[in-house]
Amino acid sequence: MRFSFTLWAKVVIARALIRVIAMYGDPLWILVNVGGPLLTSTALAFLYRFAGLPQFTGFAILGGGIAAYWGNVLWSMASQLSWDKRSGMLYLYITSPAPLTALLIGMSLGGILGTLPSSIAVLITGTLLFKPPFSPPTITLVLIFMLTLVALYGMGIALSSLYLFLSREAEEINEALYEPVSFLSGIYFPSIGRSSPLPIAIQAVAALIPLTIGMDSLRRTVFYAEGLSELWPNIALLAAMAVTSIYIGLKMLSYIERRGRETGDILVTLK
Amino acid sequence: MANVVVENLTRVFETKSRKVLALDKVSLEVRSGEVFGLLGPNGAGKTTLIRILTTLLLPTSGRALVGGYDVVKEAKKVRGIIGFSSSSERVGFDFVTARRNLWFFSQLYGLSTSIANRRIEELAALLEFQDQLDRKLYTLTTGYRQRLNIARALINDPLVVFFDEPTNGMDVFSAKKVRELFVKEAKINSRTMFLATHNMFEAEEICDRVAIIDKGRILAIDTPENLKSSLSKPVVLFETDVAGAQIDDPTQLEGVVGGTIRVDDENETAKIRVILRDEIFLEKILDILEKRRVRVYNYQILEPTLEDVFISQVGAGFAERERSVEV
Repeated sequence: MRFSFTLWAKVVIARALIRVIAMYGDPLWILVNVGGPLLTSTALAFLYRFAGLPQFTGFAILGGGIAAYWGNVLWSMASQLSWDKRSGMLYLYITSPAPLTALLIGMSLGGILGTLPSSIAVLITGTLLFKPPFSPPTITLVLIFMLTLVALYGMGIALSSLYLFLSREAEEINEALYEPVSFLSGIYFPSIGRSSPLPIAIQAVAALIPLTIGMDSLRRTVFYAEGLSELWPNIALLAAMAVTSIYIGLKMLSYIERRGRETGDILVTLK
Repeated sequence: MANVVVENLTRVFETKSRKVLALDKVSLEVRSGEVFGLLGPNGAGKTTLIRILTTLLLPTSGRALVGGYDVVKEAKKVRGIIGFSSSSERVGFDFVTARRNLWFFSQLYGLSTSIANRRIEELAALLEFQDQLDRKLYTLTTGYRQRLNIARALINDPLVVFFDEPTNGMDVFSAKKVRELFVKEAKINSRTMFLATHNMFEAEEICDRVAIIDKGRILAIDTPENLKSSLSKPVVLFETDVAGAQIDDPTQLEGVVGGTIRVDDENETAKIRVILRDEIFLEKILDILEKRRVRVYNYQILEPTLEDVFISQVGAGFAERERSVEV
């Protein structure tokens, strides 16, 4: 039992470390993941300012900071096992004693740590440029931010298992998911609640996405200074979403491993 | 002591439209310290057998033990004592150094960093790529990447190492290094080196024993020397003009057990290699070729190779078999 935990921890740390090193070893990654969200949020902030809504520029800046994570979850987390299958790396993982759960948790941890600097870079640059009216950081903000990330990466774990199971090209699913989820989750505008321009039925669908709840909670903390007493339903929902998506993802992964050994075509590309 | 035991192993792949028998009651044993070759054309069942032995795939029936552990019931124990490498898989992470990549794989086996670092140095020295260790993976040449791949398969000091076409696409120098390492690892460290290959030269040069496999069945198992000497039939090579290519199937020629035809379009020549039931058929074949207006430049009786052993069993060579096998 002790050995199993040691192995699990070593795999988590190794996978997280490799993810961070690989991210910053690729100059193109830095350009896309820092430059992309920064440009989008700056463009939207300018738009809000020229539309006579300077108080909303903060939404765009905050959205840019979180968009980096959403991009990371989709392109580096959800797609990873599918890419690993294609390259043969998944074979190496399965035929080693390393638990796949540890590899996925390590990938998430590495993704969170690796994306942090680009997210901070977007927030600092945006704040310096537009000086949006932020409330001072609180414990509630930190809690919501962390829960949002856990829920988001939990979704990444579930998606990575799903991608593997669907046996579709990861790029195709990513392309299909990125814009609709970005829109519905309201990265750059409030997609749920009183200020949302969306019909209530669409808001209901949007609320099923952890990122939507996370963004709504972050906005309300940062711009409307709401605290734990107002946001506890959101926090509870985020926590439930995090636990559920991680549970589903890991269960699905264990099913896929079992089923893959039976059929032979889920874990490896048949020659 | 047998590190790999396979008993009546069968694997059937089922799709909606058909069933494919990939392995058909395969039985074999491979000992500690042995370099064992599984030789056959693509689609013969080599990869399926390795996938079962490395716990990636379940057998339909039969039993397999690796290091004494059942690959179905004790998969986790098997995974701790094996290594695996295939020429087709990616070695690691492109933007990470070779050293860090090897360290990462060592962590999948729970090695301490100090042991892992020592092992990395040892393997890099054995495969002669110490000067490449601190370079990022994407900057390495194909030869060094492949050597790194072999090092990765040995990082956990495994009891049994499975290699699927290990030197496929490798440059001559790297392939030589790798083959030397296989023998050394088997003889000095008593590892079982289990190679699936369609490279006849490799199998003859380094394997203690070879199993010839076709359509999921083991046709013969023995040392390369014994397999070749068991072929008591003469092997003849005819060098002809390009008209020799009109003989689609050499077994249609009287007295031919099996054979291959290779056409050299550039030089407008053909090489017809046949295994005869008896040397008396040689004259008859020369007559047939003359009647068919095939000009024979030269012919000679050759020492048999492992492919000839294969041809004598199935009537065709690896290349012809690969064209006819549906995967």
